[in-house]
Amino acid sequence: MEDALGIKVPDNARIIRNLISGIQCVQDHVIHFYHLHALDWVDITSALKADPGETSKLAQSISPWPKSSAAYFKTVQDHLKKFVESGQLGLFANGYWGHPAYKLPPAANLMAVAHYLEALDWQREVIKIHAILGSKNPHPQTYLVGGMAIPLDPNSAAALNADKLALQRQLLVTAKQFVDQVYLPDVLAIAPFYKDWAGYGAGVGNYLSYGDYPIDTTGDPARLWLPRGVIVNRDLSRVHPMDHKQITEFVTHSWYEYGDGDGRAKHPWEGETNPKYTGPKPPYEFLQTDTKYSWIKAPRYNGLPMEVGPLSRMLVAYASGHKAVKAAVDGALKALGVGPAALFSTLGRIAARAIETQVMAGELLAWHDQLVANIKRGDLTIHNGERWDPATWPREAQGWGFHEAPRGALGHWVRIKDGAIVNYQCVVPSTWNASPRDAKGQRGPYESSLLGTPVANPSSPVEILRTVHSFDPCMACAVHVTGPARQPITRIQVA
Amino acid sequence: MPKIAIDPITRIEGHLRIEAQVDGGKVAEAWSSSTMFRGMELVLKGRDPRDAWLFAQRI
Repeated sequence: MEDALGIKVPDNARIIRNLISGIQCVQDHVIHFYHLHALDWVDITSALKADPGETSKLAQSISPWPKSSAAYFKTVQDHLKKFVESGQLGLFANGYWGHPAYKLPPAANLMAVAHYLEALDWQREVIKIHAILGSKNPHPQTYLVGGMAIPLDPNSAAALNADKLALQRQLLVTAKQFVDQVYLPDVLAIAPFYKDWAGYGAGVGNYLSYGDYPIDTTGDPARLWLPRGVIVNRDLSRVHPMDHKQITEFVTHSWYEYGDGDGRAKHPWEGETNPKYTGPKPPYEFLQTDTKYSWIKAPRYNGLPMEVGPLSRMLVAYASGHKAVKAAVDGALKALGVGPAALFSTLGRIAARAIETQVMAGELLAWHDQLVANIKRGDLTIHNGERWDPATWPREAQGWGFHEAPRGALGHWVRIKDGAIVNYQCVVPSTWNASPRDAKGQRGPYESSLLGTPVANPSSPVEILRTVHSFDPCMACAVHVTGPARQPITRIQVA
Repeated sequence: MPKIAIDPITRIEGHLRIEAQVDGGKVAEAWSSSTMFRGMELVLKGRDPRDAWLFAQRI
């Protein structure tokens, strides 16, 4: 909308948007590592066999984090034992426990389980920043075309005031401490046991980042904190400029049809969403993968499949010479004793996510201080309402909005006519990563990354989960169907 | 060559299915499928563009 109508948001709105997105990124990455991904690498049942004294030694050797005594780890282990003995593993009930692909010693497994539980408390705390700046989480409510809908006034109880800003700073410090002292050290301690995974999961080898986190209000893509660009065929010596007009979507293998045939790809401004399910009637054994087989379209950049996400952002930033990213990436590579080529892998994806979290958690404090400085010198502007009234709009307009969401490049394209939306197309991070094949038969990133992945036992395919989870899939977080009278649409009996 | 299907992939947000052909202990071919229609694009058609963010952020 702001792109379509040429609206520039005030500096305070820019900073607040960066803070909301940035803390979301930090929280999301930690949740992904501990709660969505760690159990592909950490064997819960092995943690029961650990000597808490050894776990304590290990924890103290990698970090100054204070919760590291043998007594502490013994408490965690006792809790876990109670769960297991009662036959109620709860969160941990379904796993491929005891699978030969699990390589961590019991002491490391116990440390990871303790941090899994600590991260649950931590994430609830740090996302209070969304309550401060966005009124709630998930789905902050204070966005507004032209800026934000949150009053700034250091002396008002009903505004973003001095007390709330003090709490925010404290939460940002809490966020950074956990990332520096728990998350990143854990990733670096676990990775050496899984070094072979730096050789699996590379995928398409093309990386796209829209860039994000504007450092001023010019709207200039060169003024984004995380840079924009495209890397092709793993060539880190060259970052290509990114032009959104080179993005198109195929539906050749997707359950949609285009008005003028499915062979041609369309730019999102011309995009169509005409669902046409041609798959088998459930329950079925396998999909008809030679024809259409997914509800996701196949986006391509210059005709190529692209990986998006923390790895793409870190590679584009690294290859562009971003100072903080370069230092963090080089630091992690040195700690693991590998070169940049190791990043093109399942393990690289996990490391890049942790590195990004570290760099972001540091930068958030600087952005917070900028906001405080603006307010201190009396700049309380938060919204630009010049083009709020549709009477000020042209009859027709089109724009694109971009964001680097935690999971990757997110783009929305809009066409407006007579004050209403005539076309709106979303190409979200998982559209890129989970893409099916295109008209040429080129595989999407998940599909490519799985080729060559070892599978020790096809009935316990933990290795496939490792690579797919390393992308942090998100198909649709919160699309719910409900009727106007809130009546049930359907009832499902779960046996 | 055994073909396997993992559906749903758990510990993610949403609905994802992976089919894979396994040959000699390695994945020889793979297919990724989202098994859920989202349709946000259709929900937004005809609406006031100033409201779009509130709908679209639910994705």
